[in-house]
Formats: sequence, structure tokens, C-alpha cells
Amino acid sequence: MTVPISLKVNSEVYKIDVGTNETLLEVLREKLKLKSVRRACQEGDCGVCTVLLNGKPVNSCLVLAVSADGCEITTLEGLSQREDFRALAESFVRNHAVQCGYCTPGMIITAYYILQSMDEVTEETIKKGLEGNLCRCTGYANIVSAVKDAYEQQK
Amino acid sequence: MIHDKLTKTLIGESVYTDDFEYPNMAYCVFVGSTQAHARIKEIDVSGAMQAPGVLKVLTGKDLIQYMDPLPATSDFSVVGWHWRVPKVYPLAVEKVGFYGEPVAAVIAETEYAARAAAELIQIDYEVLPAVVDAKHAMQPDAPLLYEEWGDNVQVHVTFEWGDIDSVFSEADRVLKVSWQEGRVSGFPIEPRGCVALYDKNTKELTMWGTYQTPYIAQRCISTTLRLPRSKVKVIALDIGGAFGNKINSWKDTVVALGSILTGRPVKWFENTREFIVTGPHQRDTIWEGEVAVTNGGKVLGVRAKYIQDLGVESTNRGAAAMSIVPACAAIPNAYRLKALKVDAYGVVTNKSFFCAYRGYGKDKGVKFMERIMDWIAAELKIDPAEIRKRNFIKANEFPYKQISGYVYDSGDYEKVFDEAIRMADAEKWRQEQQTLQGSGRYIGIGYAFTVEPAGVTVANCVFTGATEARIRINEDGFVEVWSDRTEIGQGGNITIGNVVSEILGANLEDIIVHNVTSDMVGSGPISSRGAVYPLSAVAKAARELKARVVKIASFFLEENEENISVGGGLIFSVKNKDKKMTFKDLARRAYFSPGPRGLSEELKLKGDIVLDVIATWYSPNTAKNPTSTYTTFCSSADVAVVEVDVETGNVSIIKYVHVHDAGRIINKQVIDGQLYGGIVQGIGEALIEEILYNEAGELLTKTYADFLMPTSVDAPGILLKHVETPSPFTETGAKGMGEAPIIGSKAVIISAIEDALRPFKVRIDRAPATKERICAWLSSRKNGDKEVKS
Repeated sequence: MTVPISLKVNSEVYKIDVGTNETLLEVLREKLKLKSVRRACQEGDCGVCTVLLNGKPVNSCLVLAVSADGCEITTLEGLSQREDFRALAESFVRNHAVQCGYCTPGMIITAYYILQSMDEVTEETIKKGLEGNLCRCTGYANIVSAVKDAYEQQK
Repeated sequence: MIHDKLTKTLIGESVYTDDFEYPNMAYCVFVGSTQAHARIKEIDVSGAMQAPGVLKVLTGKDLIQYMDPLPATSDFSVVGWHWRVPKVYPLAVEKVGFYGEPVAAVIAETEYAARAAAELIQIDYEVLPAVVDAKHAMQPDAPLLYEEWGDNVQVHVTFEWGDIDSVFSEADRVLKVSWQEGRVSGFPIEPRGCVALYDKNTKELTMWGTYQTPYIAQRCISTTLRLPRSKVKVIALDIGGAFGNKINSWKDTVVALGSILTGRPVKWFENTREFIVTGPHQRDTIWEGEVAVTNGGKVLGVRAKYIQDLGVESTNRGAAAMSIVPACAAIPNAYRLKALKVDAYGVVTNKSFFCAYRGYGKDKGVKFMERIMDWIAAELKIDPAEIRKRNFIKANEFPYKQISGYVYDSGDYEKVFDEAIRMADAEKWRQEQQTLQGSGRYIGIGYAFTVEPAGVTVANCVFTGATEARIRINEDGFVEVWSDRTEIGQGGNITIGNVVSEILGANLEDIIVHNVTSDMVGSGPISSRGAVYPLSAVAKAARELKARVVKIASFFLEENEENISVGGGLIFSVKNKDKKMTFKDLARRAYFSPGPRGLSEELKLKGDIVLDVIATWYSPNTAKNPTSTYTTFCSSADVAVVEVDVETGNVSIIKYVHVHDAGRIINKQVIDGQLYGGIVQGIGEALIEEILYNEAGELLTKTYADFLMPTSVDAPGILLKHVETPSPFTETGAKGMGEAPIIGSKAVIISAIEDALRPFKVRIDRAPATKERICAWLSSRKNGDKEVKS
């Protein structure tokens, strides 16, 4: 059974029919071909499918597409068009915060949210904020440095 | 242009396996056993066959019509060892040997259809008793995984180096030592997957996927499917981490068969749960032995029994039965031992297969030795840092022939260790420890020293040491590089670019490092061999190409060869600044205008006219024995200060220092990335990570919610420093690196916890030291046990 929904993804409105058991991850990745939204655990443990849903980071594998009807979604493809994202991306590259790159889209979306939403950005708050995004390559050190560096630059 | 993976993603260039699509592609999913050990009585696939979208259902019985068993990845029976190679198919044929073992595969129009149909397959099992404990598996009454063997010992080798009996007779003291590590694995965030395409006209099979080692995968896939190597091409796509976990390619053979039988491209991409359940596992070791020491703190020798739990097997799906050799040979670590004897067993149990994970085998000997060093220090009441120093190989003794046969290339262990102790302010923390104890707070200072054998060659094994690299300058001036060094997140591509740019003088942005395919001979980035084998081959090719560049430029610039230099994207005369050309100029003129015909007779005759070089490299430091020999030995010192909450068992890391010597540093940022990542993985192993099976053989830790890996919050602040003692045995002076941090960090955290709990006389001989275990050790101590052994 499919249900028609409307999603505003990266500033564009899509009217699509989705299965009632289809996740937001499946819709973004398979129907809209937004490949930065990655798949791994598909049960909310790893964070590689993180997107912004009405401005807040969510694991898109845990969101039923029908429940996102009318919502605004931002993926890395959309985020990269924003002026205020560039400094963060450059900071990730400069600080060697990207190794295998698989966790990176989810990680950087959460990092963007941290910079947008937190009044006090410290090493501790960055770590707390990134807790839901697993990375196996970097030991998080350079990722935390990259977010901090971007914060210092934007101040 | 060598892009980092974020940039690739942002510009839409990254293609991980899950991103890879082919027109008309079908999907494959595997059906896993719900039993750990059982005979398959019947598989009813009729429901699945009739499900919508299903193209093919395969069981083990179907496979054997088309396939040979998976080839052995190593076989030491040829040198007379007790070494058994079971007959293994990627789908269970008569019996399942571990929980989740694939028993069927469904190929359907969509992944969704395949998963839905997989649910409809009914399997009737005759359940057999399972064995999940290696020591139990060695008992005569244990259930047998392979009845024809008569026992569960897949591998048994006794190593004896030096005169073990005499060192034990001359010892002042003999200490009993034992150490056990839990089962863990790398589990990079991206699981495994591939796309197989069989072209029935050309009879060629192409595989794209998460291939850490395409050349090894080509061997496995072509052998099982009875295809010539020349008809199988394996291509590594962008890889989301590997750590050794993506060397195996056994499930891929079923996907390939699926493409052959359906005539369609077939994709398989597992989720994390499937990765953990059917994935390569590691560690799971038991050491039991004794050490001979003098009262002055000199370590004379170690005598031990070693048991390695290989799970269902490690010679076919896995490539790590062989890891028993470095596990034993790495024991002497940084120290001058006189003798070593290990009776080593690789035992099969009803768990998923055993394969490579960062550390492979060498980690195990080093961690055992580092535990031993702490226990000797405690016994002799000598500072644990001092005891290590008394036994160090000295800086003037390199190359040093270790008793186990390894030739240590270079190093300065004392310098590395002293620097770490200084940076950690160990003295201050020792005083602080005394002060805090009075107020019921327990901090501990841990030490670990690691010598990491890096860059392996093994006879009778897929890790042969053969390697080649190719570099070509194109007419557009761009430099293309091919090697077997897959980029798996370790920074291999950028390091290759750095070396080529430095030698050839081309700008880094004009260098393209290709994804690896099976066209290049070599066993890929295994055993930290990237900076040893592939990078040496790349450096060699770059030097040969540079010589060609200089010769041709000398002709065009009308300048003597000895006056020609390269750098900054230019080839120029050092005598006359007007005589210069870009790589693009050079290539255009050499290839087209005027082209080869316009070059000198000498160049034409020698054939040095094409700017394309293939070089091979083999280590000058390869021992004659058939077992593992390593070319470089990087070293590192870890010092950590932890606080243990004796009520909750919680461990907090207050200070962490790692000093590292990887020989000549090619790219510090890349090395630091390896160190941070490895250290945090090792901390995970020390404190929280463990793959657990229940007695019936069911896996209990199937997800990241149960198998806990460190999050950002668990990662401590880490202070890094480098010492550089170049390797005399590689082309660049760089050493292989990347595994020492996971070894040392696990050892140092255990060491520090034990030090913190010294007032309670807790001796830690088991990892992970989870909160629950720490509480249990403390409570048994409080209940009046004399000394607690974990």
C-alpha cells in the first residue's frame, strides 16, 4: 500500500508515493537518489544516515517516510549549497577529519547542527553532540578539532 | 587530483558499493542459520521461489554443481605442520557450523523482494550440541565441527627459539603468567558488498565492491567458479573502512554465481547486523605459561601454551589461521630475550570465522609480553617503566636479529619511551596517586611499549609479498598511478601522491591515484605493508620514470642530463633558468609533436620514449623460512593515567600519551590519523568491546547497541609525538605503521587499571575490563580472597 506525501528536500518540494513501511532513508536514497544519505546498520545505531528534519538531526532509517509528510529535509547535497557550510567543510578537510569518509556526511550534518544550535561550543559539548555518529577510523580527535576550528573561525 | 572522501562526496564523485548501480540490476540476500551447529535435514524454498520478483534461490546443494570449495588462503601442511584445510562452501551444504551461517541466497528484482522472499524459506535442522569455548573444544568429549578430523584442532605448531630449558634453569625466579583476550573485530562502519556482472558473450566476470585486496579476491572468486584469472576482474570502489575485515570475499562468490545463472548484474550489500553475525572475528586468545627472570629484572625467556579460537575456521573464508605464527614470534617485543617456546593451537568452535583485524596476530604476543612486564615489575618491586628499560634492545644494536628470527630494521626504544614518560609527567602522577588514595580515589599509571612488525611476506599463503606499481605521464601532463594499495581510509592515496610528487617533481594536484583493481599484482594494504611494499614499488617506478623524464627533457632542452632537475611541476636546467618545460610540454612533445620520431637515436633504441613505467619490489629483508617475515618494525610507547571508580567500575582516562617511530615521516597528518584511530579502537577493546555467544552458540551481540564501540564521548584527549629512525630496508625510509596504536593502547589501559587497583591486589589477566568485571574483581577481593585473578 502506498500513500502520497509531500517532502521539501533541500529546498525543493517533492510529491511522492511511498510505502507505509518505507523509511525516510529509503525514500531519500532510492527514490530521490541522494547518495550522501548512507546505509549501514539501518536500526539507529550508527548515524551514517543522519539528515536534518525540520532543522534537527535524525537517523533517517528510524523515520517512517509517511511520518515525515510535510516536513523539511536537508541532506549533505542541500547543506553544501549553503554559504555557512563551506567553512565547516573546509575545516574537516584541513584537519584531516575525513578518513574512509563513510560516516562523514552524517557526522558533518550533526556538526553543522552543533554550530548552529549550541550557545557554548567546547570540546565537551562537541563530543556530546557527536555521540550518535559512530566513526571507526579517526578516533574522533580530528573531527572534534575540525568542529572546534570551524567554530573559532565563525566567531 | 587526489580528493579526500568528503570532497569526493560533495562533488558527486564518490562511489561506495551501495552507491554503485548497473542497469537491470538484481539483488542478492543471504538467509542465515538460526542454529549454531546442526545438520540440514531439508530446505524448503518453494514459498520463496513463488514470491514476487524472485529470480533464483540457491542453497548449498545447488552451489556444489557449479562451484569448487573456497581455496585455502594458507596451507602449511606442505611444510609438515599440523594444518587442516576444511572443505568450505560459501553456503552450508550438509551442516551449519555457526549461528547465522548462510544456508541459502535469494536473488530477486529488488532488495525488498529478496528480503521478503528470504523470510519464506523453511529449514529443518537436526540440532547438534555446540561448542563455543576453545578450551572445551580441545576436550575429548567436545562436539566435533569436522567429524573427519577426529578433534577440533585445525592448527598445531610448536615454536622453540633459543635454549628454553637452560634459561629456565638459570633463572632466579619463575613467574606463572596467563592472559586472555575477548573476541572483537574491526567492523568498519560500511559493511561488505559487491556488484557482480557476468558477460556471457565474453565469459568475463567483473566484480565491483568493498575489496580491500582485489588481487586476493580475484583468486578466491575465479578459483571457486572455475574461471581463468584472466576472465575475472575485481575492482575496489570507494571503501568505508576495512581494518583487515574486507580481505575475505567468500559471500561474493555466491553473488557472482547469481549473475552467471540469472544473466543479470547482481548486487549484494549487507547491513551491520549481517556483517557482525557472518563477519570476520578476531582476538579470542588464551595464553598460559611462565617467565624466567633474574632478580635484577632481566627477562630470560618465556614458555607458554597458546590457544587461538578460530571460530568455524580460518583458512578458507578467513586468512588468519596463519596469524598464530606472528602471535608467537612477536612475544619478545622490544626486549632481549634468550629463549622462547610456545605450544600453539588454533581451535575451531561454533562461532563465525576468524580473519584479519588490525593487529592480526603480532598484537597478541606484544600484549602478552606487556602484561608479563608489569607482573615482573610488581614481583620484583621495580618500577614498571624501569623494568622495560632494563630489557630494551639498544639503539646501537640495529639491525637487530630477534630470537624469533625477525630482523628489526631500526629504532631507538629508550628515546621513544623516555619521551612518552616525560610528556605524561609520570612522576607527578605517581605522587598524586599516593595523595588521592588517602581520600578513596584510585588512579593508576600504565605503561606499554610496542614493536609492530609491519609489511609481511609469507610463503604458502595469499600474503606473498609480490607487489607492483605503475606510473604514467599522459599527453595532458597528468600523472596516473596504479598500485595494489587500496584506499581504505588510511590515507594511502595521498601518501602515494606525496611520494610521486617528491620524486618526480610533478605537482600534487596533477597526480591521479587510481582505485585498485586486480590488474595490479599485490596483496593490498594488509599487515601495514602500504608504506613498505606498494610505496616502495611506487617510489621505484617514480625514480625510473624520472630518469626517463630527465633523458627526454635533456634532448628537448639541449642541456646535459646532470644539469636537469625537477620540482614544482617543472623540468628545468639548474644552469640556465630559461631552459624549462612543464610535464605537459614534455609529454606532448614526446608523444605527438614531434613524437618519438623526433627523439634521439639512443632514446629510440633503448625504448625509453614512453613515459610509462611498471616496477616491482620485493623486500631485501626476507628470511628464508616459510613463515611470516616482516620488513620494518615501527615502535611506540603509550603512557596512560586512569581513574577507576571502585564503586561502579567506571574507568576514566585522565591523560594519554603516545610517542611513535614510523621511520621517515611522509605525511604527518596521515600518520596522526592512524594513531588517533588505532588508539581509540584499542581503548574500546580494553574496556567495552566483546563479541559474545551464549552456550547454545547464539550470537548475543548482533548490533552496535550490544557490541559497543567507542563514541566521541569515550575518546580521550591524546598527546602525540614522533621520533624518526628511517628504515634501511624500504625505498623511502618509511616504515609500515598503523597497528602499534591499537596494540599499545589496549595494553596500556589494562596496565593502568591494574595499577589503580593495586591496593586491592587485583591482577588483570583478561580483557575487556568492563565495568561489570572490574566490580566483580573488586567484590571478590572484598570478600577476602587472597589475590584476585580475573
